[in-house]
Amino acid sequence: MNGKIVRNEQISAGHFLLRVKLAESFKTPMPGQFVMMRDPGRIDPLLGRPFGVYGFERSQEEVTVEILYKVVGKGTLLLSKLREGDFVVVLGPYGRAFDTHPEAGKVVFICGGIGVAPITYLAEHYRSLTAARDAELICYYGASKAENLVGIKELKRICGRVITSTDDGSHGFQGLITERFSADISLYDTGSSKIYACGPRSMLKELSELMAGSSVFCQILMEERMACGVGACLGCTVLLKDGGGRGERARVCVDGPVFDIGDIHWG
Amino acid sequence: MKNAGPEMQVDIGGLIIKNPVMTASGTFGYGSEYVPYLDITRLGAIIAKGVSLEPRAGNKPPRIMETPCGMLNAIGLENPGVHVFIKEKLPFLRQFSVPVIANVFGETIDDFKRVTELLSESKGVDGLEINISCPNVKKGGTIFGSDPDMALAVTREVKRLTDLPVIIKLTPNVTDICLIAETVEEGGADAVSLINTLTGMSVDIERRIPHLANVTGGLSGPAVKPIALRMVWQVAKRVKIPVIGIGGIMNASDALEFLIVGARAVQIGTANFINPSATTDIIDGIEDYLKRHNIDDINDLIGTFDEEGKAC
Repeated sequence: MNGKIVRNEQISAGHFLLRVKLAESFKTPMPGQFVMMRDPGRIDPLLGRPFGVYGFERSQEEVTVEILYKVVGKGTLLLSKLREGDFVVVLGPYGRAFDTHPEAGKVVFICGGIGVAPITYLAEHYRSLTAARDAELICYYGASKAENLVGIKELKRICGRVITSTDDGSHGFQGLITERFSADISLYDTGSSKIYACGPRSMLKELSELMAGSSVFCQILMEERMACGVGACLGCTVLLKDGGGRGERARVCVDGPVFDIGDIHWG
Repeated sequence: MKNAGPEMQVDIGGLIIKNPVMTASGTFGYGSEYVPYLDITRLGAIIAKGVSLEPRAGNKPPRIMETPCGMLNAIGLENPGVHVFIKEKLPFLRQFSVPVIANVFGETIDDFKRVTELLSESKGVDGLEINISCPNVKKGGTIFGSDPDMALAVTREVKRLTDLPVIIKLTPNVTDICLIAETVEEGGADAVSLINTLTGMSVDIERRIPHLANVTGGLSGPAVKPIALRMVWQVAKRVKIPVIGIGGIMNASDALEFLIVGARAVQIGTANFINPSATTDIIDGIEDYLKRHNIDDINDLIGTFDEEGKAC
């Protein structure tokens, strides 16, 4: 459906916050689900772009979706040039959502770079889910440098603790967020801990090595190039561990984007 | 007396379909993926994702790459195999009262024969579309559809084994597509569909590597439409059997161009990815056009291309 842009502003170098007004019939996305977005006036770029949902509001007056994005290519560059009042096509919400656990004791979020967007939406959901109890929400957030830790203020509002890392040491631990997390990993070795992660493939792969053999619940949100977003084109498949020798694949768009970390074959 | 809209029914080599709009193989899965997003019962026909004798895992990722006004894909014909198709996918596809056309491919002529037999025996499909854009492993990997003798052999063998209407899907990666079209007509094909994707590639200049793990892929989308249209126009003039136009059709006006130059029907592919209801939007658009031009029957439009522009 067509949505109308109500806000599209740069919040730090190369990062934008987009807010789109949608029709009432748009379903409320579950945390981890994504939308496909494109400029209806263009056939170049041709395909929609998948974006994890950052925020969503449904009030008496209006329905709006919020996308936090980083300009990485032609599609996102053109999106960044759209202005208030312009239209975008928004399809979705698509994909498998995170499994959430209202009884969780410690909920750990690990995000790298723009992976913060869907993690923030999940964290917000957890905050309301566990509001009545004494659950701990802890977030590990890594980026290349301090100014790329976008949305950190929002995360601090939601989570009890936000632990950061940067490649250049300009904020928090100097190094990868998976290294910082590994120092704390024994704190979460209990059945009541739930771990969620989103970030670059290399980060998720390292996390899978840290979590190997662990029975702690850990789900990740993966990103792939997509054409259709609904499971038809088979463009976004990833290899699963239990391939029966044949190399069984899963579609990131419908079988994911959320997967149990132990299910992925990293190759 | 008819009080509805114009007549949209067309005859594709004995398969009567209620309108000329079909889904292109590989862009519509096995139907279930798109059910939430459009009224599937309105389609002229559904062409399912290609099936082979044995399951295939397909190519390694990355499998797709966007290019200007188009996309490259190298999925590698991933599919669960004909047995699973018949048992698990067909029953779902059958429930919509829309003709189901299975798309068949193989690595040897025997593969094509066996899949044809199994699908014909299953009684679950209304027609076969034969994808001859794949390599013949017994002939050094030559593409079936690029060699008139092999294209003829596949067509004859398939026709011998089935009473279903047989559509041969042609590859544009040949010197003379008309020659291949004439050859498969001679072999007994009931219709031809064209074009399959154009082979292309794309390079990541920073890393100096291909954007697709398979290096090359099939180009589709609006970028290929002028080429597809030219080929459909040429082939429609050379063969008597129905021609089904495919290639970059995004909307009704694109579809009408193909019908006017002689396509009896069209297939919608990449457009489904961008707009899940592209097919039904196109059906509506064709109907509107016919009404606007006071044409009562779509067959009175097909092939009415005025090459010399006399009407001007």
